[in-house]
Amino acid sequence: MATTVPREGQTYVKRLELIWAPRPGLLGWLTTTDHKRIGILYFFTSLLMFGAGGVEALLMRTQLLGPHSHVISPRVYDEMFTMHGITMIFLFVIPMTTGAFGNYLLPLMIGARDMAFPRMNAVSYWIYLCSAIFMYISLAGGHAPNAGWFDYVPLASKRFDPGVNIDFYGFGLIFNSLSSTAAAINFIVTIFKMRAPGMSLNRMPLFCYAFLAASFALLFALPALSLAALFLELDRNLGFHFYDPAHGGSVLLWQNLFWIFGHPEVYIIILPAFGIATSIIPTLTHRRMVLFPLVALAEVMVAFLGFGVWAHHMFTVGLPTSATIYFAAASLIIVIPSAIQLFAWIATILTGKPDFKTPLLFIVGFIIYFILGGLSGITLAAIPFDQQVHDSYYVIAHFHMVIFGAAVFPILGGMYYWFPKVTGRMYSERAGKASFWLTFLGTLVTFFPMHILGLLGMPRRNYTYPAHMGWTLMNFIESIGAYMLAAGLLMIVLNLLISLVFGQETDDPFHGDTLEWSTSSPPAPYNFVVIPTVTTPYGMYDTEDRRRDNKRLARGEGLLDEGHETPMTTAQDADLVEILEMPPHSIWPPVCALLLAGMFAMLLLVHYWIAGAFLVLAGMALLAWHSHEEQA
Amino acid sequence: MSSPELSGGGAQRIARTLGRADPRHSAPSGVWGMALFLCAEVALFGTIIGSYFYLESVDRSWPPHGVEKPEVLLPVLATAYLLLTLLPIHLAARASRRGRRGRTVAAIAVGLAAQCGYLAWQILLFSSDLHKFSPRQSAYGSVYFTMLAVHHAHVLLGLALDLALISQLLAKGLTRYWLIAVRNLALYWYVVGALAVCVLFTQISPSL
Amino acid sequence: MACALLICGCGSPQSMFRSASKQSHDIDLLWWWMLGAAALVFFGALALLGIAWIRRDTPGLPFFGERESVAELMVLAFGIAIPVVALVALFGVSDIYLIGESSPPDPRKTAMTIHVIGHQWWWEVKYPGTGVVTANEIHLPVKTRVNVVVTTVDVIHSLWVPALARKVDTIPGAHNRILFDVGRVGVYRGQCSQYCGLEHADMALKVVVQTRAAYRSWLNGQQRPAPATATPLQAAGRNVFMNSQCASCHTIGGTSARGAIGPNLTHVGSRTSIAADTLANTPANLAAWIRDPQAIKPGVLMPDLGLSKPKVRELTAYLESLR
Repeated sequence: MATTVPREGQTYVKRLELIWAPRPGLLGWLTTTDHKRIGILYFFTSLLMFGAGGVEALLMRTQLLGPHSHVISPRVYDEMFTMHGITMIFLFVIPMTTGAFGNYLLPLMIGARDMAFPRMNAVSYWIYLCSAIFMYISLAGGHAPNAGWFDYVPLASKRFDPGVNIDFYGFGLIFNSLSSTAAAINFIVTIFKMRAPGMSLNRMPLFCYAFLAASFALLFALPALSLAALFLELDRNLGFHFYDPAHGGSVLLWQNLFWIFGHPEVYIIILPAFGIATSIIPTLTHRRMVLFPLVALAEVMVAFLGFGVWAHHMFTVGLPTSATIYFAAASLIIVIPSAIQLFAWIATILTGKPDFKTPLLFIVGFIIYFILGGLSGITLAAIPFDQQVHDSYYVIAHFHMVIFGAAVFPILGGMYYWFPKVTGRMYSERAGKASFWLTFLGTLVTFFPMHILGLLGMPRRNYTYPAHMGWTLMNFIESIGAYMLAAGLLMIVLNLLISLVFGQETDDPFHGDTLEWSTSSPPAPYNFVVIPTVTTPYGMYDTEDRRRDNKRLARGEGLLDEGHETPMTTAQDADLVEILEMPPHSIWPPVCALLLAGMFAMLLLVHYWIAGAFLVLAGMALLAWHSHEEQA
Repeated sequence: MSSPELSGGGAQRIARTLGRADPRHSAPSGVWGMALFLCAEVALFGTIIGSYFYLESVDRSWPPHGVEKPEVLLPVLATAYLLLTLLPIHLAARASRRGRRGRTVAAIAVGLAAQCGYLAWQILLFSSDLHKFSPRQSAYGSVYFTMLAVHHAHVLLGLALDLALISQLLAKGLTRYWLIAVRNLALYWYVVGALAVCVLFTQISPSL
Repeated sequence: MACALLICGCGSPQSMFRSASKQSHDIDLLWWWMLGAAALVFFGALALLGIAWIRRDTPGLPFFGERESVAELMVLAFGIAIPVVALVALFGVSDIYLIGESSPPDPRKTAMTIHVIGHQWWWEVKYPGTGVVTANEIHLPVKTRVNVVVTTVDVIHSLWVPALARKVDTIPGAHNRILFDVGRVGVYRGQCSQYCGLEHADMALKVVVQTRAAYRSWLNGQQRPAPATATPLQAAGRNVFMNSQCASCHTIGGTSARGAIGPNLTHVGSRTSIAADTLANTPANLAAWIRDPQAIKPGVLMPDLGLSKPKVRELTAYLESLR
């Protein structure tokens, strides 16, 4: 349904092309504030991180292929599972969903020409990149964090971990959380203020609801993590006693703070995946979502309730029984909004005319794994059973079903679904379906037997296991599954890379009816020639809308062609408020991120005064980027 | 409400479009951004204060033996003084809405000077506390000094914002962009004031 | 899955299905019920997806057609009504009723108390009131309610013997407790299940449940000091022990060795395994362990002592004699 610009409109299009022309070459990418380019930067960086985390996982699975093996040493194994967790959660899933998908698609879906704060968007990316490099330098130097991504004290205290390993973790996460906080603020304001005229909240696509909920959860959850890491670094480097019971501190303070962040984090990871699923399903089943408003409400509820369940990670630490019962009840309540969404997806597929193309297949895979992960999650809210299998492979099975099956599958489906949108070319459907089956079966073979291993008593985070425990066969099967899974993922990447060059040219292969499909593929730097106005529910775009837009283009209406302009609207009804002038490009975001990286490096090296100097410089860089005024 | 059509062409276009919508109904996105940033700040302080009371519930002697109970009078006076310094900032925001650059800058400058005094006072209190007990002695000391240090850093950031705004207003004038910045500055200081009261009550809670 | 579980469950010494206590047995039963209900939900949802695939060219539901209200009713029924009922039932059974069994026991209602202390990377076991201290092997009388108090000297560990009870973490500064009340005589394996550093994987223990008479005689044996050396080889080994680093980390009752860092070795010869159930306790294994502990448990706190082969042989003979 892409635009064919009528002849009368060509002059306006040329004008827009001139105004929004990107800078050429590397400098263009370095100084860009275009949400699409930043999205692409996020995509490739987080894909690289996915590869790194995957290699770490494969090393672990190779080590566990048989009992008593010595492929990697216990020291390396510990660093691998720690970096695997950190990488997949902080450096892959969140940047991939909010960074890549959110950045690229959200402004397109709401009919905006950019994010609310384009330079802050850029700085989010550069900080993310710097924090990823920061943490991976530790691995290169052989001092990677080694106390698990959950980093429990006192194992992570100076006494038991005297090296800089944990400091990379502490400072790296504080650094990284700056990026996520900025991104969360940006998304919330973009969703509330930048929607196309007429797209009132009830007409907004579910994708945006999911990102809105996830961003709010990020905003409120991250301070707990940053603070926990700050306390940890104060304990480690200045001899404070937050986590030291010998001096009135508490090791459970760390666990509480970490999980106050950590559990909302699970929903931060999975909500965008829900959003991707609710974009793909209606398009490929040719109908709108069943019970749209209830699903939107459920998405918001999940993010909200996610803050009340953190201690279900702590049922074995000796909390009072009454507290555990409360947290178990809260954990069971959160099942309801999840079940609503689940059956809304199933009902939509059931009552529509599903076209099982690759993206929808991945969504079906997602639904199956979400059910499996959800059901095992319910069993873990049965406290006595949780106390039996906690910290065993059963838990690994559970959260990989949820995080890999239910969060990464929609990401993979989304890659296929929006590939034509981003590149203007079609992927290979046959290879796509084959890659789905390989990935789907690989996931099943890798993670399903872990349930059984857990019930058979195999604890987590063991670098090896004895031969007589009856665990050998399952571990062997899992490792084979991991290789299968890696092959499937590799096939997806290859399919997309090859299609990038050889794929058939296309514009709108799925006939999607959200706004991103109303413009050309790939979209021009200004996204829309004519700022769309939304008159139908659910942000949909039809032939009638197209005819109206073309008429307006012919009359030269709604172009905003006097600068980097985009409309700003009211939060609820999306009535037009004013026309915003957006900043074009800026070198300061990467400079600012680099200076902050300098600060954290100096903190790591215990040069506090130099770190302070870097902070002042970063502040000045922040001031310098206002040399171009945007109307905020 | 119906969605307004955007009308094309010319400079009057924006004026005309603006004329249709009512800007007063909706805060600019810059203010939204600051408000959300402050939400994260509030969550941060909430977590610190939560940690304080959590540690208090774990430790039977709070403050520990050998550490006297926190002083009440001076911190209360200091906080009251901080709340007073919000007045010039508030006046600056009002002057900026009326488009009076000189007054805005002057009011912020007065606020800046007064707040510098506040910070200096607090640093004196902080160092006199440091002579009495150390954050390296007990979890109480750790959380006490960390909470106050984070609060003071928060004030310091406010001072930096004051300074940045004065320089930008003098250099660039009271444009729409910097008008919003003044509004954000005021918002920031209001929240600093509210958090200062929360921190104060946490700080002196063992003496109450 | 159920079949796979049954097949593997029997061959696995640490399986939770080898339950030997009421607590463990009830958790098992809970699991099988949950598995049944979960299977119903899973295959039901799978069937719906199957129908969707079969009817992929026809919009609407079978029988009901394209009536939106039926689809919405379906979401409300499966998404709210049925889960609420099922979850309330699960909550009642597990978190109100069964939780009584996995909650810490009232010490007054138990027959005895033992202390299990986590170390990097082994378990110390103390029997208060008897002076008995052992390592990595808990002996218990059958059909006796035992109050198990777990603590740690370093980091967080977690005591988990799946056949006997839920797990419990050793939290620095806290005294967590669980109940062992074993119904059957036997040997049950357990393992640390909270990541505790390099050798977390090799931090296991055995619970030896005996008849009350056998337990009493074991306890009597453990209360005695270490037996005197009987052969010159053993006496030489004793000298090696007392004059090398060994004695500064290990205790042997009735001798001058009073180290408190490593396991108490007073009756090490009576134990069935060494190095936290990493190796069976045979002279050959013990010798290998003394010669190069880092090769068997990389990172273990016991250093490489650099003892000559004859000295290792003497030391092994001495330690094996400590029964």
